[in-house]
Amino acid sequence: MLNCKDVAARASALIDGELSGWQAMQMRLHLAMCRGCSAFVGQIRQTRDLTEAALREGTAHAGDDARLAAILARLPDQRRGG
Amino acid sequence: MRDGIGDETRLRTLLAAGDRAAFERLYRQHNGAMIRVCTAIVGNRAAAEEVVQDGWIAILQNIGGFEGRASLAGWMFAIVLNKAKSRARRDGRSVSFDAGGEENSLAAAFDGRGRWKDMPELWDEVTPERILAGRRVLDHVTAAIEALPPAQRAVIVLRGQQGLDAAEVCAALGISEGNMRVLLHRARLAVRAALDDLL
Ligand SMILES: [Zn+2]
Repeated sequence: MLNCKDVAARASALIDGELSGWQAMQMRLHLAMCRGCSAFVGQIRQTRDLTEAALREGTAHAGDDARLAAILARLPDQRRGG
Repeated sequence: MRDGIGDETRLRTLLAAGDRAAFERLYRQHNGAMIRVCTAIVGNRAAAEEVVQDGWIAILQNIGGFEGRASLAGWMFAIVLNKAKSRARRDGRSVSFDAGGEENSLAAAFDGRGRWKDMPELWDEVTPERILAGRRVLDHVTAAIEALPPAQRAVIVLRGQQGLDAAEVCAALGISEGNMRVLLHRARLAVRAALDDLL
């Protein structure tokens, strides 16, 4: 049987779909009986989703027009588009 | 999450022909993540911006040699991260991606039998736009990511980047898949702990 510490250590692997069928089943057995671990796995899932949302938001503001122009200006002439 | 091979071949052709709109789209999609990861590796943002700019120029100069064995994003990040690693070496800086032994935020969370001392509770009300301690949840998350140790920060940023799969992240950083997973989990634990402290 997995204990709570084992479940917490495998939480990312579970939500990322990286556990084998047997490992995932052991996790689900524990989660069905343990409110704390269920809540924890939910928190890790929310953490993953919020992290991806925060990084996407950062990307949306990452346009640096001066550097973009500098990169394009360094290209050989024949590579420049119209 | 990979684009179709046909899409990538088309994009390569556009880039090789100097299509500015295609390049600009790609730049806006990946430049922010490249700067974050390179900042973790070279240690400061100004140096990271130089490295990434050189990386983009190398990408454009070598696009004809992209053969589609990796995804386009995987190939681009590998080029940029190689430049970052050379820069770090030149500056006498090294980032350890060794995952062994380091404590994590759950070190004291369990009793001797591995049960929670304090049971975690559901985060029903944690949404991206919710304000906690005067800041949006997403801004707290961004701050928590920026406070991570460099190796964890590099991994969590790359794993959140669209178009890169796990194997490409490992190849670009030069680390094993097991190592990457440990670093990713630790990074998430730290971000989770930062949010939990606010509730
Ligand atoms: Zn449990």
